[in-house]
Amino acid sequence: MPADLTLIKKQVSRSSEQQVEETQLIAAAKQQDVKAFKALYDQYLNMVYGLCLRLCADKSLAEDATQEVFIQLWRKIDNFDGNSQFSTWLHSVTSNVTISYIRKQRGWWQKMINIEQSSAFEEVTYGCLEDVQLEKYIYKLPERARWVFVLHALEGYRHEEIAKTLGMAVGSSKAQFHRAKNLLQGWISDEQ
Amino acid sequence: MSSNSQQKLDQMVKKGTCELAPERELWTGIEQAINQANNHENSDTGNNIEKVGKAAWRAPTFAIAASVFVAITVGLFAYETGKSVQGDALIAAMSEQHQNQKQSLLIRFKDRPAATNNWQQQLDELDEAAAAIKKALEEEPNNPALLKMLKNVYEQQMAIIERVHAPTWNQA
Repeated sequence: MPADLTLIKKQVSRSSEQQVEETQLIAAAKQQDVKAFKALYDQYLNMVYGLCLRLCADKSLAEDATQEVFIQLWRKIDNFDGNSQFSTWLHSVTSNVTISYIRKQRGWWQKMINIEQSSAFEEVTYGCLEDVQLEKYIYKLPERARWVFVLHALEGYRHEEIAKTLGMAVGSSKAQFHRAKNLLQGWISDEQ
Repeated sequence: MSSNSQQKLDQMVKKGTCELAPERELWTGIEQAINQANNHENSDTGNNIEKVGKAAWRAPTFAIAASVFVAITVGLFAYETGKSVQGDALIAAMSEQHQNQKQSLLIRFKDRPAATNNWQQQLDELDEAAAAIKKALEEEPNNPALLKMLKNVYEQQMAIIERVHAPTWNQA
């Protein structure tokens, strides 16, 4: 057998093992096994936090939202029917919970102050991530344009799905995406 | 807009985003919420799903309450000072207002005997706590939990001054 093929078979086998292990962990978590749930948490923490941070554009809020996602996941894990990849389903849970969480939190803040205009907010937002160019630009986007860009360009959602999630018209989702792209291209162009 | 910048954006998106890890330890809070849910479930086996849901919401409710608290604080400052403040400006305004109120109170009670001897020491300890919180706020000026802690420390200082100088008949 050629070496490459052996390597591929090994990788496929390893991937299948991981799949089986994950299925077992999900089944155990559904039976309220906290240890199994912790293993899923360890496996998906960075993925969930990364998406939360891109949607929130605020470190502290993203950390709180990540906790909220996993608490909701514990509650809703029974709803995972195994018809899709767990990671795909978790992406969807994360997006929905995070956007809902931001709306709840921001509702209070924005009645009192316009937090998005705060320079301190910008420092917190991407001060630690200057080395990651796309991340940095994403955090500069206006909220709705950022949500649409993250969900469509990075998460692969269709505009119809985004419109439903964000409670906006499909045309608005497309317009916000266009706006986000224009802003991002402008910033890239300025730095060239 | 140059096609060059469009190409670069497409490349960046295609390359994907990097993995990011939170700085704060998050599991403890999640585990507490989960355990609360389980405890409630064990104490009453009926309506399991409903119980888990309600208990699981408890932890974020604290976060929301903290945010509400800070929002009200910000609102009060905005109302009292006539301008909207945030971040470093909010912390500076809170500290300045607290110092003014504290000084006024100390002047008011200057000639009144104190009920305890170590109240100044208590104030100093709280000053140290406030300094530590303000240092943490330099990193995260809009952290609601830290802002709430700072306000609590200031309120404790005011409460101590008032309590130790209250007339004897009014002391617990």
